[in-house]
Amino acid sequence: MSLTKIFEQYPDRRYIMFGGKGGLGKTTFSAATSYYLAKKGKKVLVFSVDPQASLTDIFQKDIFGKGPTEIIPNLYAQEIDADKRVKAYQQEVRQKILDMYGMDKIPEEIESYIQAAAAEPAMEESAIFDEVVDIVVRGGYDYYIYDLVPLGHALYYLSMASVYDAWIDKITKLREQMREYDQVAAVMQREKELDEDAILNELLYIKERINKSSSILTDKAKTAFFFVLTAEDMIIKDTQKAAALFAKFDVPLSGYIINRVLPSELKSENIPEYLKNRFLMQEHYLEVIKNDFGNEILASVPEMERDVTGLPMIEKLAKAMFGDF
Amino acid sequence: MAEKEKKKGGFFQSVKEFVYGVAAHDSARFALKTRASMEHLFILITMGDMLGVPILPPYYSLRLLPYVVPQISTWKRRMLREKDLTDGLA
Repeated sequence: MSLTKIFEQYPDRRYIMFGGKGGLGKTTFSAATSYYLAKKGKKVLVFSVDPQASLTDIFQKDIFGKGPTEIIPNLYAQEIDADKRVKAYQQEVRQKILDMYGMDKIPEEIESYIQAAAAEPAMEESAIFDEVVDIVVRGGYDYYIYDLVPLGHALYYLSMASVYDAWIDKITKLREQMREYDQVAAVMQREKELDEDAILNELLYIKERINKSSSILTDKAKTAFFFVLTAEDMIIKDTQKAAALFAKFDVPLSGYIINRVLPSELKSENIPEYLKNRFLMQEHYLEVIKNDFGNEILASVPEMERDVTGLPMIEKLAKAMFGDF
Repeated sequence: MAEKEKKKGGFFQSVKEFVYGVAAHDSARFALKTRASMEHLFILITMGDMLGVPILPPYYSLRLLPYVVPQISTWKRRMLREKDLTDGLA
């Protein structure tokens, strides 16, 4: 199986994700894949869900907080400014309170709650999570490429969806029960009409949004999740562990891509002992990877002569991933 | 509205209200009381971190905040009301 074949064989897989430990090349592969698809004439959005995003660096264009920005025809990149979104959201909540109760100032107690809530570490992630739902619901692209956070965070991100989901389910039920009591009282007091429960509606809205994003993450028909790894002991082990965890969350794994493979042409040249040892190590672990992951390995990408930033390097890397196009 | 209906209904209305008072008022009161307790429970599980009980990533609970603003102060009083033996002694 090759990467190109996967994309040709499953054209419905429109949500593309690369996962892996930090620094292995998730952002690089996201950028290169978006470049490849755009050149194939697909309209692509590559966006970062990482608060420390680096799409700006790889495309060498400041896109932070600027919404989808065109890089080349058909290729759009976006970095979410979580801070800005949280601030706007706080303001929205404040305005709603002022409007609902005709107040001209937020009560101190409430204001301090709004501020404390925004200082929570989970707030940034949640804000990004929420924006991603916006992006996906809005539509308009053939492909969505998630530049994911490192593994631990990605797992958190995934589990957040299921935790949220279970929690919202519970409180929605409680709210519905409350509504039944309201109805009982209303019937006995012979009130004909019952006000709509705004909170219940709000909960149902939240539930729908969470379902939307978690259903994409676990949709085998529409989502392709690729793991990035390198030929090193620790990374192979961590990848196996992570793959097992991801499988638990029903994330559809499409395959593995090996990055940073030292080109074997070098071996025939007169190279120092240091590099010879690196080659020995690499051969050993490539063998391990082959045994463990077999035909799920989709591509093997060589270590480049320089870091991958800017379009010419992105193109070169894309060709290493997908072959000539 | 209610006033008008009362005048129109006259005797029947009084009988209706009497029957309601004897038979159903207590149950209605009970239903409302249960409802109020649940309301407080609901705020606890959504806004719990106001009392220092972190329960949920607060992003979505902020969405609900506007609706519970009026209940916050009574809720805090109720939740923070201590009940133990020493209260009786003091």
